[in-house]
Amino acid sequence: MSLLEGLALFLLLLSGVLVVTLRNAIHAALALILNFLVLAGVYVALDARFLGFIQVIVYAGAIVVLFLFVIMLLFAAQGEIGFDPLVRSRPLAALLALGVAGILAAGLWGLDLAFTQDLKGGLPQALGPLLYGDWLFVLLAVGFLLMAATVVAVALVEPGKASRAKEAEKREEVAR
Amino acid sequence: MALLGTILLPLLGFALLGLFGKRMREPLPGVLASGLVLASFLLGAGLLLSGGARFQAEWLPGIPFSLLLDNLSGFMLLIVTGVGFLIHVYAIGYMGGDPGYSRFFAYFNLFIAMMLTLVLADSYPVMFIGWEGVGLASFLLIGFWYKNPQYADSARKAFIVNRIGDLGFMLGMAILWALYGTLSISELKEAMEGPLKNPDLLALAGLLLFLGAVGKSAQIPLMVWLPDAMAGPTPVSALIHAATMVTAGVYLIARSSFLYSVLPDVSYAIAVVGLLTAAYGALSAFGQTDIKKIVAYSTISQLGYMFLAAGVGAYWVALFHVFTHAFFKALLFLASGSVIHALGGEQDVRKMGGLWKHLPQTRWHALIGALALGGLPLLSGFWSKDAILAATLTYPFGGVGFYVGALLVAVLTAMYAMRWFVLVFLGEERGHHHPHEAPPVMLWPNHLLALGSVLAGYLALPNVLEPFLKPALAEVEAHHLSLGAEWGLIALSAAVALLGLWAGFVFFQRKVFPAWYLAFEAASREAFYVDRAYNALIVNPLKALAEALFYGDRGLLSGYFGLGGAARSLGQGLARLQTGYLRVYALLFVLGALLLLGVMRW
Amino acid sequence: MSYLLTSALLFALGVYGVLTRRTAILVFLSIELMLNAANLSLVGFARAYGLDGQVAALMVIAVAAAEVAVGLGLIVAIFRHRESTAVDDLSELRG
Repeated sequence: MSLLEGLALFLLLLSGVLVVTLRNAIHAALALILNFLVLAGVYVALDARFLGFIQVIVYAGAIVVLFLFVIMLLFAAQGEIGFDPLVRSRPLAALLALGVAGILAAGLWGLDLAFTQDLKGGLPQALGPLLYGDWLFVLLAVGFLLMAATVVAVALVEPGKASRAKEAEKREEVAR
Repeated sequence: MALLGTILLPLLGFALLGLFGKRMREPLPGVLASGLVLASFLLGAGLLLSGGARFQAEWLPGIPFSLLLDNLSGFMLLIVTGVGFLIHVYAIGYMGGDPGYSRFFAYFNLFIAMMLTLVLADSYPVMFIGWEGVGLASFLLIGFWYKNPQYADSARKAFIVNRIGDLGFMLGMAILWALYGTLSISELKEAMEGPLKNPDLLALAGLLLFLGAVGKSAQIPLMVWLPDAMAGPTPVSALIHAATMVTAGVYLIARSSFLYSVLPDVSYAIAVVGLLTAAYGALSAFGQTDIKKIVAYSTISQLGYMFLAAGVGAYWVALFHVFTHAFFKALLFLASGSVIHALGGEQDVRKMGGLWKHLPQTRWHALIGALALGGLPLLSGFWSKDAILAATLTYPFGGVGFYVGALLVAVLTAMYAMRWFVLVFLGEERGHHHPHEAPPVMLWPNHLLALGSVLAGYLALPNVLEPFLKPALAEVEAHHLSLGAEWGLIALSAAVALLGLWAGFVFFQRKVFPAWYLAFEAASREAFYVDRAYNALIVNPLKALAEALFYGDRGLLSGYFGLGGAARSLGQGLARLQTGYLRVYALLFVLGALLLLGVMRW
Repeated sequence: MSYLLTSALLFALGVYGVLTRRTAILVFLSIELMLNAANLSLVGFARAYGLDGQVAALMVIAVAAAEVAVGLGLIVAIFRHRESTAVDDLSELRG
């Protein structure tokens, strides 16, 4: 592999490690952003340019930002503080993770793949016919899902009656 | 159909008395029961005189419910209902005042019905119904005063010991069914006229049926229940355990004579068992102190004689003895009952004596009974016993050994019969009672029985009974003795009997007995420890096993209930896994997924 | 191919994170990492099997977005009135 490739993969793994180990939540989120950005670059290198852009815009730019909002909303920046009651399970977790990696790697072993498909750069012109052709139903379903998710998110976060009453009280106090 | 009526009449009595007896006043239940038995007697006699009868009805596949009234079963029917009637009448008086009066007669009638079923049966399963039925009636009657735990135990003992014999009966039936495909006696008789199929298996069948007889007729080794059966009221002892039920075994052999006459070895075994039992019964009678138990052991002994006769092939002789024995044994029991009644319930002979003066009529009953039992010449017992003795020499399966043995036992019989009489009626009064004679209702049956004890022998002299019964029995070749030899044997029997009677009469009037006799008497009282041996070897181990199984079973059940507890503990243990910790769940989740993937991969 | 292996490793890292993190949000973050690892493998396979892989990855991104919205909404709803966001505190299903 070329130097750029190696660097990219190294950064991916590094940021991945950082995501799962950093104690400060905001730092972890930032590490994730780094991961996503490098990932976007990898996508472009893999002839998936449209996907790479979407990765930056949606994932890095919207999803992680949302994370950051929530972290700050809940004052959860400290993240992992104090004593971990299940600290002894760390080795087991590591073992299990290694196991997962092992299984997946074993699945990949001996796979003789020819990476020779002509993906036409993964541009919208190439993806479009697929999206609105074979994958139309899926596309529409996902769209519906997104709408549903929006509704749910709003509903979940809406203040309840008690809060409303409290706020009404507060406003009255202020008005007096 | 009318034949079925003989059974149905007493059965009706059982039903009526069972359902409505409580509402009847004494002596109505007794009169009703006796009347029904008499009716059965008359009906049976009438049918017999008109040449016999048959009854058949569809029952089980391949096994019809069939009854047959021929000379043999008719003979038995007359004995059962005739003597049964007399004893019923006696019981009207004897059981007077007992709170279970109607229950008694209900059971008594049930017994008669079942005994008739047994006797009239033309197929083994029907006989078996009667067989079991009389066992049931016997159980109910022995344990009549069930509130006494000892009596209840005696009843159970009788039933259980009988059961062992019944198993033999059933297995014997099974073999016959397997070999011949039918259990009808008439058909089997015909089937065995030709050459025998599988003689060894047939011998086994014969032996097994005999086992049933051993149980029912209290032969060695299943005789232990009879002395304990004296726990029942005296009429019960008289009817069931003297005159009729215990003779069912003899009847079985006689009915199956077509089988036994072709099985020489089995017949020989039967004769041996009979002789041994006769000896055992006679020897044990010397030491008994209960007036009824003496008579009970005497019954065991006399039954042994009957089997001896049947074993050597002289079936009609055995039945002859059944006939005479019914009279004098019932008489002995009922006389004992009169004595017990007179003394207000006393049964221990050591507390009796000198009753000769006080019981003018019972004393004659007792004397006649004892002399008949002992074989005083010219009384019925003499004729039948002599017939048996002669048979051991003339019939095919007999032998001189049997003759000598039987003769010796005859001496013993005469002696203990006299012992019974002397201890109760003669000598000084050892008890403190005010004896009163029995009421007429109890005396009249005894009069008739005493008459029978005297005359029964003549009713059945060889030239009358033998041809009468012959058609129903198997043909057995018997040599005939010359007239001189016959009379010689009769003289010998007479001499022996007189000797024994006199010896007994004299010996037992002594005040003091020699040491060897006392030792013998002590052993005899315990019936030579047979009960103890059985208890140690069989009863107690079985009881221990039963208890072990019972507790084991209960443990098993609590084990099953414990399974609930075990499931709960398991659940509680598992519940501890549900810590509520998300991360633990996540760990387990990943672990599970890994396992699945791993399995799928490989 | 190296990308595929890398995706496997990233996925494993994500698993470790899910099992180790004590705060709900950080767990979520690890889940996102896992999703992206999966996406990477999809794109890698697309080079061998065709554009469908990329379309699938696109769908995954969209669904992930929806999922994050709902998930974070849930987290906010649960933890709004609590002091900490510790996952271990959510032990009411103990059992």
